[in-house]
Amino acid sequence: MDLLTSLFPWITNGPLIVVQVMSGLSVAMFLFLVSVGMSLIFGVTRIVNLAHGSFYMVGAYLLVTLVETLPQHPLMFWVALGLAPIGVGLLGGVIEVTLLRRIYHREPLLQLTLTFGLILVIGTAVLLVWGPDNKSVARPDALAGSVRIFGQPFPSYYLVVLALAPAVAVALWIIFYRTRWGMLIRAATVDREMLGALGVDVATLYTQVFVFGSWLAGFAGALSAPTVAVALGMDGDVLTTAFVVVVIGGLGSFAGSFISALLVGELQSFGILVFPAVSIVLLFAIMAVVLIVRPWGLLGRPEE
Amino acid sequence: MTTVRAVGWLVVLAGLLVLPLVLPSFLVVVMTEIAIVGLFATAFNLLMGFGGMVSFGHAAYFALGAYAAALLVKQAAWPMVLGLAVAPFAAAAGALFFGFFIVRLTHTYFAMLSLAFAQIVFTVVFKWKALTGGDDGILNVWPPEALKSPRAYCYFTFAVAGLAILALHAIVDSPFGMALRAIRENPRRARFIGVNVRRHQLFAFVLSGFFSGLAGGLFAFFNGSVFPDFAYLNKSFEPLVVALLGGIQSFFGPLAGALGFKILETVIARQWPVYWPLFLGTAVVVVVIALPQGFVGLLQRRAWRTPTAR
Repeated sequence: MDLLTSLFPWITNGPLIVVQVMSGLSVAMFLFLVSVGMSLIFGVTRIVNLAHGSFYMVGAYLLVTLVETLPQHPLMFWVALGLAPIGVGLLGGVIEVTLLRRIYHREPLLQLTLTFGLILVIGTAVLLVWGPDNKSVARPDALAGSVRIFGQPFPSYYLVVLALAPAVAVALWIIFYRTRWGMLIRAATVDREMLGALGVDVATLYTQVFVFGSWLAGFAGALSAPTVAVALGMDGDVLTTAFVVVVIGGLGSFAGSFISALLVGELQSFGILVFPAVSIVLLFAIMAVVLIVRPWGLLGRPEE
Repeated sequence: MTTVRAVGWLVVLAGLLVLPLVLPSFLVVVMTEIAIVGLFATAFNLLMGFGGMVSFGHAAYFALGAYAAALLVKQAAWPMVLGLAVAPFAAAAGALFFGFFIVRLTHTYFAMLSLAFAQIVFTVVFKWKALTGGDDGILNVWPPEALKSPRAYCYFTFAVAGLAILALHAIVDSPFGMALRAIRENPRRARFIGVNVRRHQLFAFVLSGFFSGLAGGLFAFFNGSVFPDFAYLNKSFEPLVVALLGGIQSFFGPLAGALGFKILETVIARQWPVYWPLFLGTAVVVVVIALPQGFVGLLQRRAWRTPTAR
């Protein structure tokens, strides 16, 4: 115990640990939103959308612009938060209809390459529209400060994020498991051909799923905008972390994404305390272990 | 046919020897870069075109080679040629370690894990300031006086990259290369006829990493400095785009792709640097949607069958 406390002085600091757990949970929330969309798109269309981080970035930039252009009003932040993801969803829809639809039957290599190309296109488009400088957006006035939790400061905005997390997870669960649309999605992840043979309009379902996944990424990006510097490199950072989450949880698994997002969120939160420089390496190391032991992820299904 | 081929190759060879003498030195620099990128893409295509394995993280091995060469020359004060000689081995060691895990996976998962490992390499290079200089990179990594002029370094690069490409060609045509193609076409069947699939794939991965590292080493001295960007996504993307543009089904496709890619880059990126990634991304999207055989594949649909038919 003495060794432990000398190595990690915070270990006896209960309040700090609580706050750290909570900030890990809010990170997990963003990760969950991004990765569940990525996972959903993969589950249905079998395409790993590498441009998913780019959608997140566009969501964040759209929020910045909306907050700047909408009239000043305390509630306008929430309006912007509602609108920005819709813009991203539309962008996703356009991409699906014009590009992805043509390559569903092609090799995974070409599909991956295409979405990789989209990273470059979207990245440059964002640079041209918003310029090279970092943007920032103020948190809504009511949430600008911080609250004290066991004496430790904790940003109030994160409390909203934390409250939204279970709400979104429950909403997604209801959509997936209690609606006809969700049933179709789950059916598509198991056997797309059979679903098509049963008379379901699979092409439309793909578009809807892609729009919904993009919307989720945009929502995560918009929600995160007040907590970070909105910058051009976001797409790559988010992509890699989301990707780790999806791989650990299992591509196409809803519960897997959730559990894995919690795991990765907490790991990042505590990794910074324990191994400041190498927390990201730790993350990839865990992913590598999962891939070696269970390549299809904790809750995914093996590849045929 | 064979004589036509031989004459063709002689013309190419003569061109490579004469052009650096007659071209202005800025074009000589472009030619050097074409040779380096061509080697990188050819090494990459050993995996993609012949092994059916798509790595999305080949920048890792390029960067390992570049950093190994730069560090040995700068920190350990090794002569440039020795540093360059170690570069491919450093990259191959990295490829062996990462590849051990990567080749256990297939298709999408293969691509993703390779990308993840490249991201690790990037992060380590970026964060380990004491060794790598972090964001600032390592500067003043120049070759010795004799090779310092663009012309001299161009010939040097042609010699080294040319030998490496010949070696890769020999590998592709060897029994090992044939087994690799068999695995690409049908891994299960390859296993039934006694090919150790995973070991062949790992060996191909290491070889590909080896030559990527050599390209990285050549590039370090060409560029005079190395940066963490060498391990970043965009760099991993480069051989993929180049190979796709040229055509992944032919051995020389990536070389042709490198030529086209660098000419375009020279024209477009110099004029409108901001639009270059946009153009590149759009080109990739168009190639994937409209010309999956690449531009060379479009011109010579059947040419790639020649090596297999022999």
